[in-house]
Amino acid sequence: MERKIGVYVCECGPNIAEKVDIDKVLNAVSSLEGVAVAEKYKLLCSVDGKKFLEDEIKKHGLTHLVVSACSPKQHEQTFMEVCENAGINPYLFQLANIREQCAWITEDKDEATEKAIRLTKAAIRRVRYHSSLEKKEIECNPDVLVIGGGVAGIEASLQLASSDRKIYLVEKNSSLGGLITNFEKTFPNMKPTSDIIKQKIQDIAENENIKVFTDAEVEEVIGFFGNFEVKIKKKTEENNVVEFDVGAVVLATGSASFDPKKTPGYGYGKFDDVFTALEFEKMNSSGKISLKNGKAPKSVAIIHCVGREEKGYCSEICCMYSLKFACYLKDKIPGVKVSHFYSDLCIPGKSCQKFYEKTTEKNVDFIRATDVEVIKQGDKINIKYKAENNSKNSHPVDMVILSPAIEPTSDTSRLAEITSISQSDGGFFAEEHEKLGPVSTSTDGVYIVGCAQGPKNISETIVQSEAAAGKILSSLVPGRKIEPEVKTSQISESFCIGCKTCISVCPYGAITFDETKKISVVNEVICRGCGSCTAACPSGAATLKHFTFNQLYQEIVEAVQ
Amino acid sequence: MNEKGSYSDVLVIGAGIAGIEASLLLSNSDRKVHLIEKTSYTGGTVIKFEEVFSNMECSTCMVAPRQQELLQDKNINLLTLAEVEDVKGSSGNFTVKVHKKARYVDMQNCIGCDACFEPCPVSLKNEFEEGLSERKAIYVPCAGALPNVPMIDTEHCIRFKGKDCKACQEACMFEAIDFNQKDEQIELKVGAIIAATGFDAFDSKKVPKYGYGKIDDVYTAFEFERLYASNGPTEGNITLKDGKAPKSAAIIHCVGRDQKGYCSSVCCMYSLKFNHYLKSKIPEIKISEFYTDLCIPGKSHQKFYEKMKETGVNLVRVKELEVEKQGNGMAVKYNNGNKKDSIQVDMVILASSIEPRDDTSKIAKVLGISLDEYGFLKEEHPDVSSVTTSKPGVFIAGCVQGPKNIQNSVSQANAAVGKVLSLSK
Repeated sequence: MERKIGVYVCECGPNIAEKVDIDKVLNAVSSLEGVAVAEKYKLLCSVDGKKFLEDEIKKHGLTHLVVSACSPKQHEQTFMEVCENAGINPYLFQLANIREQCAWITEDKDEATEKAIRLTKAAIRRVRYHSSLEKKEIECNPDVLVIGGGVAGIEASLQLASSDRKIYLVEKNSSLGGLITNFEKTFPNMKPTSDIIKQKIQDIAENENIKVFTDAEVEEVIGFFGNFEVKIKKKTEENNVVEFDVGAVVLATGSASFDPKKTPGYGYGKFDDVFTALEFEKMNSSGKISLKNGKAPKSVAIIHCVGREEKGYCSEICCMYSLKFACYLKDKIPGVKVSHFYSDLCIPGKSCQKFYEKTTEKNVDFIRATDVEVIKQGDKINIKYKAENNSKNSHPVDMVILSPAIEPTSDTSRLAEITSISQSDGGFFAEEHEKLGPVSTSTDGVYIVGCAQGPKNISETIVQSEAAAGKILSSLVPGRKIEPEVKTSQISESFCIGCKTCISVCPYGAITFDETKKISVVNEVICRGCGSCTAACPSGAATLKHFTFNQLYQEIVEAVQ
Repeated sequence: MNEKGSYSDVLVIGAGIAGIEASLLLSNSDRKVHLIEKTSYTGGTVIKFEEVFSNMECSTCMVAPRQQELLQDKNINLLTLAEVEDVKGSSGNFTVKVHKKARYVDMQNCIGCDACFEPCPVSLKNEFEEGLSERKAIYVPCAGALPNVPMIDTEHCIRFKGKDCKACQEACMFEAIDFNQKDEQIELKVGAIIAATGFDAFDSKKVPKYGYGKIDDVYTAFEFERLYASNGPTEGNITLKDGKAPKSAAIIHCVGRDQKGYCSSVCCMYSLKFNHYLKSKIPEIKISEFYTDLCIPGKSHQKFYEKMKETGVNLVRVKELEVEKQGNGMAVKYNNGNKKDSIQVDMVILASSIEPRDDTSKIAKVLGISLDEYGFLKEEHPDVSSVTTSKPGVFIAGCVQGPKNIQNSVSQANAAVGKVLSLSK
């Protein structure tokens, strides 16, 4: 087909016109191969300018468009729309930036003009090698798999189900509720936990849109956003594999506690009456706080930050739940002495400090200490520590409660692998972006909520569940098709040497290995066109559409000629 | 309006990071959004920062693509220089009155070339730059502001005081300056409302012992952010009032915490970030951070803290502290519980608390929701959801609900959208 390239240079008022001799640019390019027309216009992005371009494309029967104007960030989209409106494929267009990268930064007018000519010529040469790219549309399944039946998974399921989505809720334990069911009360409002969770579990049971699988684990998640095939295994039944399709996956697998046996200095596992926070929660929920000998403790030490150094992060909630423990103790055992051993009090947010102040009113000791060690002297437990003034002290108590760090559950790595997402600091699931993508991941359609993403309190957990619901309800709409990225990577079957380098660098899990052909294959629906594989491929088999080797080569050759 | 008599359009108040993220997510689900922003620009507080913790990502590079997307999004009706004056009705059916001030610069015609600034005869302190630089009566708050269209500040423009000045209009090649623009009263019908109006910093003058406003070279956190910003008043050069680079600096944590009665949750981290700012520009600078409790919750923050410690920052835990003028610099006098001591520094940076913005009570009144005891917008119940309010159909996101970092603000914005989308069908 004969190419008819239209080249249009924007004056951008005085912005380009004052620095670049536009007529010279037009002269330099008008006789280049394939150029059918070269014109200037005072402001191409204006309503009149866009109309002008559209008319020109139709009038001259143009097949390709080059605009020399501003940054693609500013108006690439604008001119691609013009192409679409005028009936040419928007990828048969190239924008040369002669404003930000030329007129605005080049002092000398001749130099600026020369540069503008090169940039425009480079764009013309590049556009000759452009191919039409077509948008694809894929049907999507609006159902959702939620993994984990704790507060995070429950909230996500209920909210999605209230929008008429079908939910598959998979819990590895025999009942729903997760960790929170062990707590009598939650900080800072000290409301009974059962108020929050029992009603929710009931709501789940009564909700026709939610199918619950307890004692079950997810074995396989294959596919992509909108179309995942899921295989789960029920641990208690004979015919135990269940398969279904969903459009999105929510990982709400919660957290585990650091094992204090790994820090022997705290005496856990060696001495009676040294308890972990979870053991103490359970004991408190049972109604009676007592020592192994059945008596109520007269003095209790709560040790903060157990495992913090080993884990390398602050678990955010331990200070607050340690304060809650002091309240439990003071409420149930009148006269009990409670001492907190801590280094830094971390009570962020608007409602925590007040809770701290109320706790201090209950005559609770706060001892800022380092080098805390739990030893046994006779029948007594003794806390040895270094105080703020560097003096070495000891503090005898009947009972010790350890506040261990939050850590990822043991199946985090397995689930990360199944869903092709990565793990980040501390081994928790990695979010797509620390700030702007807290619940999305590198795999489109896979979301992470609650403590599986990192340590957090119940309120923040619920927010994340709602956030994931927001993401899913917004992007996975029944009846609406999804449009995957157009500028994707492709791997040439004949050039691929099967080294798998591309698979190791792809951040989206978009490339798989074809074992029969021994080559890498791109799933174009998952690929987001980042170009990592193209850069890493040693055999030149991987190319990125619209940024092919030849397109870039031709552009650069012209620019540096 | 749908067949059930409710509106699907959504009103989002505030075009900071929470409002932007909420609007884009709503638009993605084909909802029409009216985004109301009080100032002339989008991006809110986050665009004042050069970098954000904990991976020191360039803040404007992070947000600019989102702002750009917002401006190009056909589902989003961005109204800048606008405030919500009245809200009537109930969930699914709100009638909203918006007052939109005239910009006096045509958004369509203006291409953001800045030619109008130079000829303007008026010069005054730039509020966006915390008063550290000057602006004209026609201005954008900083380079890179989006939308990149200036506004005329009628309070200071001499034309609006009766003089016949047309300097900006004459300089404009695009006939974008329109002195005849009028304020508008706009009525909107929406089904749901998300309030994301952000926060303010505690006024450090309220605690005189820190010397702010009395001693030169005592800066607030926001002032310091702008000193480091490459598009700020010094183009990122950290200098003292006399133009010299500081040889030593003190960063004081928890400014206003006692007065406010809560921990603002982000100050320890941004103070550590300031340590990075200072070291990266002035490698030999001596830095002391004065704090009581280090609050760096979350999986990624301690690693950052440890990295900062390696740079040699002097972390001083204190019980009491005051700043006094001494010699050419200042003395930070402190008591750590064991002894009293003093450190001489050239520069002091105050890590001020987060507090509700002064218009929060007005917004609460207009929306018919309540304030909590600290003056933030009150959530319905923190254990149920922190984004719902006592009024169905009205949601809150970001620091207007309480102090939080960007990640948690964005989570709340997404959560509020989740609530909106599951509201009505």
